[in-house]
Amino acid sequence: MIREFGALTLNGFREARRNRVSVVVAVFTLGLLLSSTLVTDVTVYTFQRVLADVGLGAMAVTLVLLAIFLSSGLLTREIERRTIFLVVSKPVSRALFIVGRLAGNMLTLAVLLLAMSVVFFTQEALYGMAVTRPQVVAAGMLWVELLVISSVGFAMSSFASQLVSAVVTTGVYFAGHLSADIYNLASRSESGLIQWVGKGVYYVLPNLARLNFRPQASYEVVTPAMDILQSAAYGIGYAGVMVALAVFIFSRRDFK
Amino acid sequence: MSSSLPIEVRGLAKTYRLGFWMNRQVRALQGLDLEVQPGQVYGLLGPNGAGKSTTIKILMNLVQASEGTARLFGLPPTDEEARRQVGFLPENPAPYEYLTGAEFVTLAGKLAGMSGHELDQRVKEVIGMVEMERAAKLQIRRYSKGMIQRISLAQAIVNRPKLLILDEPTSGLDPVGRRQVRDLILAERQRGTTILFCTHIISDVEALCERVVVLVGGRRVREGSVRELLSGQAPVVEMTVEGLSLGQLQGFGHELTYAQDFGDRVLLRTGDQAAQLLLQQTLQAGGRVTQVQPTRYSLEDLFLDALKEARHGTVGGEIS
Ligand SMILES: Nc1ncnc2c1ncn2[C@@H]1O[C@H](COP(=O)(O)OP(=O)(O)OP(=O)(O)O)[C@@H](O)[C@H]1O
Ligand SMILES: [Mg+2]
Repeated sequence: MIREFGALTLNGFREARRNRVSVVVAVFTLGLLLSSTLVTDVTVYTFQRVLADVGLGAMAVTLVLLAIFLSSGLLTREIERRTIFLVVSKPVSRALFIVGRLAGNMLTLAVLLLAMSVVFFTQEALYGMAVTRPQVVAAGMLWVELLVISSVGFAMSSFASQLVSAVVTTGVYFAGHLSADIYNLASRSESGLIQWVGKGVYYVLPNLARLNFRPQASYEVVTPAMDILQSAAYGIGYAGVMVALAVFIFSRRDFK
Repeated sequence: MSSSLPIEVRGLAKTYRLGFWMNRQVRALQGLDLEVQPGQVYGLLGPNGAGKSTTIKILMNLVQASEGTARLFGLPPTDEEARRQVGFLPENPAPYEYLTGAEFVTLAGKLAGMSGHELDQRVKEVIGMVEMERAAKLQIRRYSKGMIQRISLAQAIVNRPKLLILDEPTSGLDPVGRRQVRDLILAERQRGTTILFCTHIISDVEALCERVVVLVGGRRVREGSVRELLSGQAPVVEMTVEGLSLGQLQGFGHELTYAQDFGDRVLLRTGDQAAQLLLQQTLQAGGRVTQVQPTRYSLEDLFLDALKEARHGTVGGEIS
């Protein structure tokens, strides 16, 4: 089972490589270089802050978009192109297929995240800035955020079309960053129903703000390791539920 | 030990539900029974939409049956252990096109639990068997239809399956390729592999199969060993007559299974007994018999007869 899982994962990575996802890193690098030449008319301290914010922010935006794109189309594409016939008919359970394909996506995203981090940290070093611990934490936790988004994309694309999956997953991403605000807003309402709905939304949507450590990196706030671990565990747990959902739906599907 | 049959299908039915409210139905299969013994080469025949691919998809766990049971070696198709012993070639196969042929066959082997040196050897071997050595390092997106068919066949046999399920294995192949696939099926049979395959090429079935089933509209209309199905039929004689019209010939009162007036000659087919009389009567009436040929009742005749019996149209399942 481990071997089959490995084969699926590495194959997913190979697919991304052959489809030239590395271009994403090139575009990111170019954008980063360009942005640093645009910001000139400020003090040295502000310059460094802006540089770090732009770097981490650009990384997040690029990879989140890529994660949505990769995950929401994957299962649908396999079914539409009928490539799935040759894989699911092998002695591989559909659960293993889903988990292996997701792992392939996460490996691709991890490698890209790593490459971007190297570019970003090198740039910092070139401007004589130190790479701080909160920055590393923010980059690492971005991967957990990508995992949550990808698992939502998989759950959606286990039954919906690529377009619907992409739109819903994008919506979940934005709402997920606001879920705490939605909760607070609803709890201030007089109406019990709205309070109840707010709570419901809060628990169903992923709390992505909890996985976002970019503000801490920006203000150089060191977060205790325990908090980081708890947040990571929350993200992985949420992704696990989404994967279970995807497996549940996918295992009952006809491929025709 | 009926439970260890390679394929055992009982009362299998599949209804596809369509439309937004799932209120339209296509009955693709209606109560199919099928038994394939070890080592048999079994042919699945039927017009377009008869339910051949649906049967195969149910066996390969791609589609769930609405009713009835399907068993591979006594296990349900959902069981991975059942599928471990099976090689499968779908209709219009679609391998990952970003992989090369060799990479794809390797992936198939890995997913079937093979690894290491043994896998590498076997991949080379099966690629040789389908004559794809030259294109093995080319990405599949650059393949022609027949090349895709060949590489997909290679991935089906890579794990030395005990049962091969092939959906139209010779579609898209050139004449040489068709002969090669036939030889490959024969070689697999020599090894003792059980084979279920469906095709529209009846000569392939005649050349390869011991048993056949004919499906029409999701129902079984003929089943049995090829020899029995064909030998039970009375011999037929084909004659070409000149100098008499079709009307005159029909006037003799024999039952003609086939008759065609070409103006200068009439081509007809009739039973053995009738042919003897017809021959005499034709000569007496001043006609010339330019050709007399006993013809075997072929699988094609069987197939066409089976279709004739289907009262409604033959293409597709029942739609309601
Ligand atoms: N996805 C689907 N949705 C609805 N109906 C379907 C679907 N797939 C197949 N059918 C119906 O099921 C019936 C059987 O189809 P199937 O593909 O099994 O035929 P077949 O015997 O393989 O035909 P062919 O020789 O053309 O390949 C057809 O009437 C078809 O319309
Ligand atoms: Mg078919």
